[in-house]
Amino acid sequence: MLKILDFFDYAKSESLWMAHFCTGCCSLEMAAAMGPRYDWERYGYMPTPTPRQADVLMITGLVSKKILPALLRTYAQMPEPKYIVALGACSFDGGPYNDSLAVIKNPTEILPADVFIAGCPPKPEAIIEGLEAVKKKIKEGIPSAASQGGLWKEMEF
Amino acid sequence: MEHLKELISRFSCAYVEDYKKIWIKAKLNSKDDLLDVAKALQTEGLRSLSTVSPTDFAEDGIMEINYFFEDLDTKRNLWLKVDLPRDEAVCEIESLTPLFASANWHEREAYSMFGVRFLHHPDLRDIIKSEDFRDKYPFRVDFDWDAHEKETVANVQQIVDAFKKEQSENEVDLESDSSETILNWGPTHPASGPIRLRVHCDGEEIISIDPDIGYVWRALEHLVTKKDFIGAIVAVERLCFMDNINSMVGYAMAVEEIAGVTITPFASWMRVLLGETARISSHFMGMGVFFNNMGLHTLAMWNMDTREFFLDFLESYSGARIATAAIEPGGVRYGLDMRMFDELQKALDKFDANIDEVEAIFVKNPTMRMRAAEVGRLSADEIHMFGLSGIVARASGVKTDIRIDEPYAAYDKLDLEYITQERGSARDRFVMIFEELKSSVAIIKKAKQHIEEAVANGEMNPTKDHMVKVPKKLPKGEAISRVEWARGEVLMHLVTQEKAKSPYRLKMRAPSFNHTMMLDYLLRGQTLSDIPLIFGSLYVCQGDLDR
Repeated sequence: MLKILDFFDYAKSESLWMAHFCTGCCSLEMAAAMGPRYDWERYGYMPTPTPRQADVLMITGLVSKKILPALLRTYAQMPEPKYIVALGACSFDGGPYNDSLAVIKNPTEILPADVFIAGCPPKPEAIIEGLEAVKKKIKEGIPSAASQGGLWKEMEF
Repeated sequence: MEHLKELISRFSCAYVEDYKKIWIKAKLNSKDDLLDVAKALQTEGLRSLSTVSPTDFAEDGIMEINYFFEDLDTKRNLWLKVDLPRDEAVCEIESLTPLFASANWHEREAYSMFGVRFLHHPDLRDIIKSEDFRDKYPFRVDFDWDAHEKETVANVQQIVDAFKKEQSENEVDLESDSSETILNWGPTHPASGPIRLRVHCDGEEIISIDPDIGYVWRALEHLVTKKDFIGAIVAVERLCFMDNINSMVGYAMAVEEIAGVTITPFASWMRVLLGETARISSHFMGMGVFFNNMGLHTLAMWNMDTREFFLDFLESYSGARIATAAIEPGGVRYGLDMRMFDELQKALDKFDANIDEVEAIFVKNPTMRMRAAEVGRLSADEIHMFGLSGIVARASGVKTDIRIDEPYAAYDKLDLEYITQERGSARDRFVMIFEELKSSVAIIKKAKQHIEEAVANGEMNPTKDHMVKVPKKLPKGEAISRVEWARGEVLMHLVTQEKAKSPYRLKMRAPSFNHTMMLDYLLRGQTLSDIPLIFGSLYVCQGDLDR
């Protein structure tokens, strides 16, 4: 029985699909990672237009107050198991917009991320490396951070 | 110009003076004259209102409104000021929207951020700012941001409640037995990016569109006032990452004007070179988005391939592919190692090798031609009326290009010509991007050659000439600067106080704001499937739409 479960974890981890949802500027480098030079499809990643088919939600940079409900709703629409990757400085602490009060400074306190990718914006290589870390997490059978806690469970959206 | 000056002088003005080469700066004594002035200007031919920018002088109790009128044909521009009382109850002025359609959203923005009420505005609602700022005016100097921020979760709840209320009202407002519905296009639509269009449609046919923007609102114009003049670059370049160099050039020019600094020839040529590189990287994305929105992803991939080589050059120069922060007041941030031109040469070679194929397959593509040649058409008159700029304006045959009209950096030394298309359809705008891509590469080649020759002659020193010192504290003053951005005209209006370390007010007029305003106008009566196509052809970036 254990072996079969391992197989499913392996299969899940090798075809990660991203919900196609951009909240900020880092999506530009995400597009570059999809491009021919970096070509993330080599590793089994692919963007999908609907959250219903997605395994990974990327917080691409800043999260403004206005887009947060849409982000949470997108996350809620994704089927389990689902993982969150936070791109860039903004999704960690507001980054360059830390002084701006239209932007949420700690989106990952609301929606905890499994992997942080550093940079402003992160380079495509870093994005692919971050997704490899998600793969590793799935293979080790570690549950996603957002399923364990986070403010989003108490919020209405 | 003299005629225009005389025309303004007929009204009661505090001053009327020449400003730069093609501007006249004037201040009205009374706000009651505004409508008459505006009518006279319109008859005179200044048909576009570029933007409306309030400056809040809290100490004097004055809200100063700046209007920027432009004539895209004869290149005469007017910067008109008028003072209002700052007190919220009486801070009001006649709206110019009935005369200048382009004022519509700009006045709404001034109302949302500063609480200036525009009388007889057809649709004075909040724009950009989120629901938690309702009846609060965040850009006023005395707005307490810290108190507002403490309630983040409650603020988000307010946004959610407002959205749900709107959705439930939609269902009540429309009759249950009709085929009308209100559809949300975005912000999770793959072609939309962070924008939501409220599409009121009857079956397939669109009745009206109300864009809901502000999903990436970062209050950049307020953010810069918390940073020093160098630190503000971080906010300015994030206007939109696709072409960040030219927005920094605009900001740097405004600071230099107040500081009274002239940059070196080397720095001005580097600004051309880097600016065109960023323009190319943006245009590649723009072309890709256009085809992506029609459901064809190949061109985006091809373009991304070539674009990477141009980003390599930016990376070798500044250390970053996109967030370069390479332009600073006083010149360009880094010296140039001539070996960096090898990277640029690689990019140019790659471009030359690919471009014919792109043209043959995509630009002359018969399917695209049939699909896009008749939709989203804009006439030259409409360009003037709605104050559109950049490739959208030139695709309709309007000869406007700030690199030629009001040359900055080293553009006056380049022999540039207007590139235009005739019919103003979605396809023309696509072809326009492509033609401009080719002209940008030609400019880069010239600039590169010029720098190489000047360095070889010893006229320029690439490691030392890049920077002129700009004082950290600036005198009291104000300046405007305009640059031709990848997407159109960016107008920066910078105000400083005496011995200031940071900007007092920076207004960034960005082209996507006007272009998004056009969606409702262009899409009425069209079908739902035209939305992505026309939206893509307008070359909108949400970064500079929301700021």
